[in-house]
Amino acid sequence: MVIETTAPDITAVSSSVAHVKPTRGVVAFRVANTVLLTAITLITIYPFINLVAKAFSSESYIAAGKVNLVPRGFNLATLDYVVGDSMFWINYKNTVVYTVVGTAVAMALTTTYAYALSRPQLKGRGFFTGIALFTMFFSGGLIPNYILVVNILHMRNSIWAVVLPGAISVFNLLVMKSFFENFPAELEEAAQLDGMSTYGVFFRIVLPLSKAVIATMVLFYAVSIWNSWFSAFLYLDKKELFPVTVYLRNLIAAATNSPDAVGSTDAVQIGANIQSVTMLLTVLPIVCLYPFIQKYFVSGVMLGSVKG
Amino acid sequence: MRNTRKASVAVAALATLALTLTACSSGGGGDTKSTSSAGTGVTIDDAHSVGAMADFKVGTTFKATEAIKPTLLYRDHPNYPIKSDWLILSALKTNQNVEFDRTDVPLADWDKKKALIIGAGDAPEIIPVTYPGQETQFVAGGSILPVSDYVQYMPNFEKKIKDWGLEAELDTHRQADGKYYILPGLREVPDVQYSVVVNDDMWQKAGITEDPATWDDFAADLKKVKEANPSIKYAMSDRWTDSTPLGAMLQYIAPNFNTNGGWGYSNTWFNTDSKKFELTGTTDAYKQLVTYATGLVSDGSLDPEITQSDDQAIQKFVTGQSAAISGNTQEITNYRTKAPSMKMHLIVLPGGPAGSNLAPGQLTAGVMISSKAKDDPHFKAILQFVDWLWFSDEGIEFAQWGVKDQTYTKDSSGKRTLEPTIGWNALNPDAPKKLNADFGFSNGVFMSANGSTKDLLQSVMSDEIKDWTNAVLAKSKVLPVAPAASLNESELEQTGLLDTQIKDAVYAATAKFITGQTPLSGWDDYVKQIDGLGAQQLIDTYNGALARTQG
Repeated sequence: MVIETTAPDITAVSSSVAHVKPTRGVVAFRVANTVLLTAITLITIYPFINLVAKAFSSESYIAAGKVNLVPRGFNLATLDYVVGDSMFWINYKNTVVYTVVGTAVAMALTTTYAYALSRPQLKGRGFFTGIALFTMFFSGGLIPNYILVVNILHMRNSIWAVVLPGAISVFNLLVMKSFFENFPAELEEAAQLDGMSTYGVFFRIVLPLSKAVIATMVLFYAVSIWNSWFSAFLYLDKKELFPVTVYLRNLIAAATNSPDAVGSTDAVQIGANIQSVTMLLTVLPIVCLYPFIQKYFVSGVMLGSVKG
Repeated sequence: MRNTRKASVAVAALATLALTLTACSSGGGGDTKSTSSAGTGVTIDDAHSVGAMADFKVGTTFKATEAIKPTLLYRDHPNYPIKSDWLILSALKTNQNVEFDRTDVPLADWDKKKALIIGAGDAPEIIPVTYPGQETQFVAGGSILPVSDYVQYMPNFEKKIKDWGLEAELDTHRQADGKYYILPGLREVPDVQYSVVVNDDMWQKAGITEDPATWDDFAADLKKVKEANPSIKYAMSDRWTDSTPLGAMLQYIAPNFNTNGGWGYSNTWFNTDSKKFELTGTTDAYKQLVTYATGLVSDGSLDPEITQSDDQAIQKFVTGQSAAISGNTQEITNYRTKAPSMKMHLIVLPGGPAGSNLAPGQLTAGVMISSKAKDDPHFKAILQFVDWLWFSDEGIEFAQWGVKDQTYTKDSSGKRTLEPTIGWNALNPDAPKKLNADFGFSNGVFMSANGSTKDLLQSVMSDEIKDWTNAVLAKSKVLPVAPAASLNESELEQTGLLDTQIKDAVYAATAKFITGQTPLSGWDDYVKQIDGLGAQQLIDTYNGALARTQG
């Protein structure tokens, strides 16, 4: 008894807090909290609604700053215009291909790497973790990377230049590794006793039971590949190979001012509504992916984060 | 393995460098193989003259004697995304026997990718859309051709430089080795595009019907306009001010105060009396300029919000919350589409205490050739082609207007008219096809400065803009070009750092003076601050280089 009092049970204390009748302070906090969070949500959602409104508004209303939540001077002509550009669809298709292939490659490499690293019996485990970690802090720099990919690996103008460099995200790898480390060893032992090989255990036992973390990683990889433009910009020279992000970037970033761009006959005059429609069409599919994966999302990241 | 390879490359590079240095120091007169000094030129042998014309001169239409396919770094513009079936490409193939092997780079990242690809030693042979001065960063890497060694194969370029008296300005782009590495775009007359766009109704309400003769008159006009239109908060609210305070406005006012400012600001100003460079930001002329702008703000005429975005400023103008904004010959069209019912015009640039001046500068974005081109068997043909397309009268007309009788017609007086189904900017604005987007002409890649001759430049202007341009040119005098001071590599590196930090400090202080955050009585402290940043060292380096260049 004496021993128990010297070491108070923290879980007991925290669970008892939940049963205490809320004081006025707590109520006030909850109200303030709800209001604040609602406000933050609205602030976050507003740009998106504004984007939708602009996409269907006429240019003159946008220029006058009159478009907020509802389209003014409603028109579908802009949508027609963007949808009618064949290059937009070619690039869109590229993005889909790069994302699907890229995610598949990344998942294949990350799961196998993470699983191997999570096995205590792996010799040189520290070394293999170390070389992955090393790349988190040091890189070759832009031009050496470029020379490696283009001149040594000869991947210029191919999907592999976009998909392979950076196929393993070290952060994702580590999250996955600690997830696999917490995987009950008994399950694997049982499978091995029944005669499964290492690959059998991995494909038939471990992966099917890791849906949460896999779904989360798929989402992470898919979103980052969908949004990425930099490696495409570096390694692809043909317009027909660009992902839609490069197309979009050219519409938007080029319109920002520099003394060189403005004033010449080459000044970029892309309507704000054209930019909006393009942005809308570009974010839509990946936004649609979230609801399907979200249920795994929180548990997936948390699962690996705390070592039990 | 790779490391060994890199190491051996590095050793080889060092060895080459050492050899070059030895060659330089011992070379002197005897060595006939070393590249001769600028001007005399290097002869291209027959092995690299495949496809070249034997008698290429001014007035000759270039046509390669066998098909050539140079590599081209193509800047893809979102207003006219490239299409492989463009008439300009097929016409060049049929008539000039030239087809491009393109690397497409989106405009948004043009400079970044260009630097990367040149730095990695992968540059295509023809690298267009490069402003004079941008080539300097690539010179030390050796990937860019010292094109001045080969200009004797480019008769059209040489002729225009000579006819338009651009030698002095071109000399300012020579590197420490006395060579230049860029073929800049050439203008027959200086570039005038920027001025103030005013809301006619509001100005007439104040009883003003004439453009101001001087910038002081302009300041007085702004006051009157504000009084006559009580609904507006400021008579002028300016744009092009988010990256550089009042970037456009200070640039077009500055020459009238005999200095430079805004986007055109450069730390070195050549004093024609003392024949020495001095630090622009601390000269009396610059102080006068800043004082003038400060006056506009303290009068309540100019919106002190000088870090606003362009969109905000344009919005104020087109919705009638301000009566004046900076504009240029293109942007006024843009304002009109945003406010179709508003009457507006560009004022003829007023004069200042130093007279009615225009900043010097008739060189604009041009072409670099990569060093690799000289190993191409078609090297000479490529040089002739570049000379023809970018610098011959025939080539620039083709690049601007297209194919005669196909995209445009030309009457006996020389007046060109676009086909009615084709539009470009202010010409046939409602036509179903665009000269640039559907045919590839009037494309900033294949021409510089709208063709560069005054005739061609004005051939595509609306009457309003043409009259405005001629009025400005007639009224103003062009300031002389500062003499060449070629810095060597170590000087460039040193001054690069100084230059940026001083420039940033000048911009920051300029903004504070203009908005009234720092009173003008603090000018002396500001001068001390700039001196503390190494202004004297910067200026001494330039004056040293000047003495050496003039040698």
